[in-house]
Amino acid sequence: MGFIMDGLDAEAYDRQYTDATLVKRIIGYFRPQAKRMVAISAAIFLTSIVNTALPIYISSSLDELQTNPAAVSLATITVILVLLGVLGWVFNAVRQWLSAEAIGNVTLQLREDAFDAVVKRDLSFYDTYSSGKIVSRVTSDTQAFSQVVALATDLMSQILLVVLLIGYLFLVNVQLTLITLTLSPFIIITALAFRKIARETVTRSRRVNAVVSSHIQETVSGIGIAKSFRQEQAIYNEFLDVNAQSYRVNLRTGYTFSSIFPILNLLAGFGTAALVYFGGIRSQAGELTPGEWYLFIQGLALFWFPLTSIASFWSQFQLGLAAGERVFALIDADAKVVQNDSVKLPHIKGEIRFERVNFSYNENEPVLTDFSLTIAAGETLALVGHTGSGKSSIGKLISRFYEFQSGRILIDGYDIRTLDLSAYHRQLGVVTQTPFLFDGTIMENIRYGNTSATDEEVRRVAETVGQGDWISTLPNGLETQVGERGSSLSMGQRQLVSLARVLLQNPSIIILDEATASIDPLTETLIQEGLDVVLANRTSIVIAHRLSTVKNADRIIVLREGEIIEQGTHDKLLTQGGHYAELYNTYFRHQSLEYIESAGHTLTA
Amino acid sequence: MQRSEFTVPNSYSYNRSNPIRWIFSHIWRYKYFFIATCACYLTAWFAHSYSRIMIGQAAEEIINPTAVDGLLKISLAILFILVVDSLAALGGSLAVETIAQRLERDSREELYISLLGKSQTFHDRQRVGDIMARATGDMQQMNFMINPGMLFIAETILGLSIPILMIATIKIDLILVPIIFVGVYIVTVRAYSRRLNPVVNNQRMAFGVMNAGLEETISGIEVVKATAQENFERQKFHRNAREFRNYFAQQGRIEAGYLPMLFYAFALGVGFLHCMVFYQNGQMTVPEIIGVMGLLGALRFPIFVSIFSFSLVQLGIASAKRILHIINAEAELDENAAGYDQQMVGEIVFEDVTFGYEDGTVLKNINLKVKAGETIAIVGQTGSGKSTLTDLINRTYDVTSGRILIDNIDVREWNLTALRSQISRIEQDVFLFSRSVAENIAFGAPDTPMEKIEQAAREAQAHNFISSFAKGYDTEVGERGVMLSGGQRQRLALARAFLSNPRILILDDSTSAIDSATEDEIQKAIRRAQQGRTTLLITHRLSQIRWADHILLLEGGEIIAGGSHEELLKTSPQYRRIFARYDVALPPVASEVPSVS
Repeated sequence: MGFIMDGLDAEAYDRQYTDATLVKRIIGYFRPQAKRMVAISAAIFLTSIVNTALPIYISSSLDELQTNPAAVSLATITVILVLLGVLGWVFNAVRQWLSAEAIGNVTLQLREDAFDAVVKRDLSFYDTYSSGKIVSRVTSDTQAFSQVVALATDLMSQILLVVLLIGYLFLVNVQLTLITLTLSPFIIITALAFRKIARETVTRSRRVNAVVSSHIQETVSGIGIAKSFRQEQAIYNEFLDVNAQSYRVNLRTGYTFSSIFPILNLLAGFGTAALVYFGGIRSQAGELTPGEWYLFIQGLALFWFPLTSIASFWSQFQLGLAAGERVFALIDADAKVVQNDSVKLPHIKGEIRFERVNFSYNENEPVLTDFSLTIAAGETLALVGHTGSGKSSIGKLISRFYEFQSGRILIDGYDIRTLDLSAYHRQLGVVTQTPFLFDGTIMENIRYGNTSATDEEVRRVAETVGQGDWISTLPNGLETQVGERGSSLSMGQRQLVSLARVLLQNPSIIILDEATASIDPLTETLIQEGLDVVLANRTSIVIAHRLSTVKNADRIIVLREGEIIEQGTHDKLLTQGGHYAELYNTYFRHQSLEYIESAGHTLTA
Repeated sequence: MQRSEFTVPNSYSYNRSNPIRWIFSHIWRYKYFFIATCACYLTAWFAHSYSRIMIGQAAEEIINPTAVDGLLKISLAILFILVVDSLAALGGSLAVETIAQRLERDSREELYISLLGKSQTFHDRQRVGDIMARATGDMQQMNFMINPGMLFIAETILGLSIPILMIATIKIDLILVPIIFVGVYIVTVRAYSRRLNPVVNNQRMAFGVMNAGLEETISGIEVVKATAQENFERQKFHRNAREFRNYFAQQGRIEAGYLPMLFYAFALGVGFLHCMVFYQNGQMTVPEIIGVMGLLGALRFPIFVSIFSFSLVQLGIASAKRILHIINAEAELDENAAGYDQQMVGEIVFEDVTFGYEDGTVLKNINLKVKAGETIAIVGQTGSGKSTLTDLINRTYDVTSGRILIDNIDVREWNLTALRSQISRIEQDVFLFSRSVAENIAFGAPDTPMEKIEQAAREAQAHNFISSFAKGYDTEVGERGVMLSGGQRQRLALARAFLSNPRILILDDSTSAIDSATEDEIQKAIRRAQQGRTTLLITHRLSQIRWADHILLLEGGEIIAGGSHEELLKTSPQYRRIFARYDVALPPVASEVPSVS
């Protein structure tokens, strides 16, 4: 079967958990649902009793009919039978109804807790874990966990039914009950074996489906090139291979799933025939009545379905618990950024001071060592340096997105660790390198900077950025939908929106990580004009990638390996011919007018 | 016959007139499997039902033994019939699974062939994500529609009718109760699914909203934190999670009230009463009652499975419709095989060109003349029509009015292959296949000698970075191989163009270089490519704009200014604005400045 495995390398991520505190934690979540849980248990118990009583009553009625037909009241039997059926339905309905509410509530609580925990985490947490994985913990793992509960109540009622029935059958006839029970190991073993095979085939199917998807994705994305070079036949042949492989693997998976029930049925068939024969012999010998004989045969049918679920239950239960554990781990993760007071500064002037700050993302790689820097209120500061020089870390520490290991950072003379972060963040503007927009209109996105702003205020701010020229080119002006993450806008337009957003917020301190993406020259001009407005009259820390920005800065800080090695204005630093001059030649030279002018001559060679 | 750019000889032809016929023509291709499925399940249900009657006969044998080995014989007969039941069900199950999987495979192949046959126009208008959804999700949905969807429907029909038929053989009057039950069942199950389906859909949507909202919050966490909007986001999530919880609980309540099960309890009781009445009149025996009760018990399974089946089939048909929609979509352009087919010189003329989609005009009154070998830079904001203007040249789209001439021949008069093979387009996002660098450069000409590939790479300033890879030209590109930067991808595409040597080059150049050295290389490559070719540049590079022979300024689909750098500095305020930041000594504004909104 080698061909089936072609190109399907296995992945290993199997883990197993066992923990007593886990149980305590889970019970904690169910405590508010205690009344419901008691009612659910009662309903389960009653359902099982009724469902056991039904076949027993039918069989005893059959016996009565046979032995003493005249004395039988048909009406009574019918009423009791119908009553049992109705009660069974009602109890089951009550259980389902209440479980849905209880499970819904527990899941909701767990989700809210998980979200609240996530949103409190500092940014180092988001650097370590991918957003997809966090999302799946908050939504899918909580779902998987709650399904365990549903599974447990379902299974409990089935087990109870089996136990009650077996108990009664033992009273009727021990040997025949033992024959019935002989069947169970076979069923369990078959069900377990099936689970194992099914898991393997499903994993393989999933992988092969991914291969098919990526093949089609690539073909469709690159079809223009394939067409202009007339390579359709070659691509089609590749597709045939992939599709055939997918068919073979999926067919096996399908066959596995299709055969399980017929095979279990086959086993049950042997059991039924055995009971018919051995029970029949006992009955003929007078050890049990025909009605009781029939009860055993019915009992078998009631018996094998719960057994197959028990067999598959345990591993599902474990998966659910593991999901629960992942959610708890998320909730319990230690916060790294800790505030030791909550001073609310009504209006920040914007003086920032680093005093002997040490900072690293992880222990072995220090980013800032013994770092000191004072930024005056209202100053525009440009940070330049190679990747890893620590320039973005300075911005992130001022934003209080990360915890530093030692030293102090003072804002207007207050230790940053004593500030009320919410109040502080309202006076701090951050413009990220790739602007992030929320799905909605441009108006809504700008207003995100200050939710109490009126439409008019939003409009005025938008028109301040780049003289508002960009708004008129949008199909619906400020009411234009930006799409998922702003995808219906160009990168330049997204930057303009994020500049307007921060302008509306009107912060005292602004941290700007300048974009490196290339933008059409007209929009670029608008952005530059927007920056002039945004950076004016406030403390601005710019992680600079644009020549015009460094040129206009009050002061340039040149960083290398977490240390300030030069500072001053553009002209001064360039004449010094030090590290800045080197950085200029590496990153900024091609943005200069001299370069643009010289391109006409030198580069054509 | 549909027009197509790609066909596979001797492929099976399906009935594509409507989704249901299409599905059945696929199923009918495997008619033997289909017949086998039907036969197997018919056998299985007959055997299953008959086993219930035989259990009654066994009871008869217990109460009134006929022979010493009578019970053994019946028991063995029951075993035999149950084995037949299971094996027939197994056979049917495998057969239907085979049909389902083949349907998925075949229809995917059919879709794939049709995709290859579609024109570029079609592909430009179709989102890749949509096609992916058809080729994977919708295909799988069709698979589920067959198994278990249609299978469950068949089992419901067989599982209700055959046991009732069997009851009739014992005593025809007894079918009264089950028949009434089936009637009530059909009514109640329809009402049930009408109540349940919208809730299930709402729940799915609520989950999607919750998930997407969370995803967005987390992706934008820096903005959320920086603007201190944690509480706003928190309330949003809590609201969404509660919405989901409410639908979840509502679904639980609806499911709890699954009425068919309640009526089944009545049917069982009343059916038993019916039997007992006959028994007291001496018209029935206990063993017969056992048989009938067993058959009534057999009705439980179909009642259970039918819940899922109808919606599965509905979803499958909807999927089939979407797939068929793509397969049946007509290619719009014709290849014009008999058209003008000559070596191109490269002169381009736009005469009063207007172009629009259904929802609005994109280009208005474009007049333009480009001499062979000239370089035109096109400048404008997003949505100003820059790309669309170049799309018209190689007939990705056709003009709405006016005309475009290349070498004085209307592009619509050109042979499409001749036209396109002499025009090379390099897109903003250069697409590379997951194969080696060399294969990507020589795409479409697999037998190109290595020296030529290298030569092209050198001209495109790509040789150096390619050589820096451990495997050089054999390096795999893409997911399993090396990830290339935008600038590197662009230079590979340029190498491709050097190899195919087109007369007209359209370059959407918006790659940015982080450092000046890379910038130098990209500039050199582009300049090299411009030489001896008519070149249309949609570029973000000021140096390219500065030195183009002619610059077009586009706004809202119109050319608002055109000319050389010096001319535009004099005449266009927008153009001046771009260079104003560079402390350029701007020339005095000419008196005849065009009025611009």
